[in-house]
Amino acid sequence: MKLSSRDVGDVMVLEPKGKIMGGPDATVLHDKLHEFIDQDKKKVVIDLAKVDWMNSTGLGILISGLTTLRNNGGELKLANVTDKIQSLLTITKLITVFEAHDSVDDAVASFSK
Amino acid sequence: MTQPDKGPVRPRHNVKIVRKNNRMEIPSSLDYLPKVDQFVESKLKKLRIKKDQLVDIAISVSEIVTNAVMHGNKNDLGKKVKINVEASPSQVEVIVEDEGTGFDPSSVECRLDPESLLKEAGRGILIVDSLMDKVEILCGPGKGTKVKIVKLLR
Repeated sequence: MKLSSRDVGDVMVLEPKGKIMGGPDATVLHDKLHEFIDQDKKKVVIDLAKVDWMNSTGLGILISGLTTLRNNGGELKLANVTDKIQSLLTITKLITVFEAHDSVDDAVASFSK
Repeated sequence: MTQPDKGPVRPRHNVKIVRKNNRMEIPSSLDYLPKVDQFVESKLKKLRIKKDQLVDIAISVSEIVTNAVMHGNKNDLGKKVKINVEASPSQVEVIVEDEGTGFDPSSVECRLDPESLLKEAGRGILIVDSLMDKVEILCGPGKGTKVKIVKLLR
């Protein structure tokens, strides 16, 4: 997995690419999320458009980021959820936990509503 | 601002990965998951397999190997995880074996109630059950755990 990030106003957009399966990949994503939290950047969007697939470790990282952000008054939202990840979120019922948007622009705009 | 791309981190352990025909052995570290994924994909690429099926198998193998490394061998680098891939035009069978102490499969429970939804772990077997056509867990006290997963290629 490769990971890049950019800021859109006060919203941080994370763009993982490839497969999120635990091990070193998971550490990179987990550390970046917690780096944002340490810097008091509490509005985060994860753009999943270029993620081939993720496993339960990847889902665990998303949950960790979500709960830590919410506990600090922030929020993590998903954008461009692929069909496969959507099906994993449905199987695990996490679809009820995450706010997902069709595009990064929509996800970023939703923080202003 | 775009951050520099760190790229994948390479395994740091001074240990060997063994590959022979359809079999692979890795030390008990999740650092080797990408290597396992490459191995499984290399064994399946000759089949006329749909991308969706390939992804189901890849996710499931990553789940089973993660369990073998973390829960079976408890990240002990001295213990191996063995992966065997048997692929035919009609099905793909993957067997993953660890050198742990075994466990009671009935004790594994994935709770989907609202209070448990935000737990960070415990969804692996649920996902594998959903993506694969057959899942068999064979283990006994002191014998380690062997998990067989099958995907029918219909």
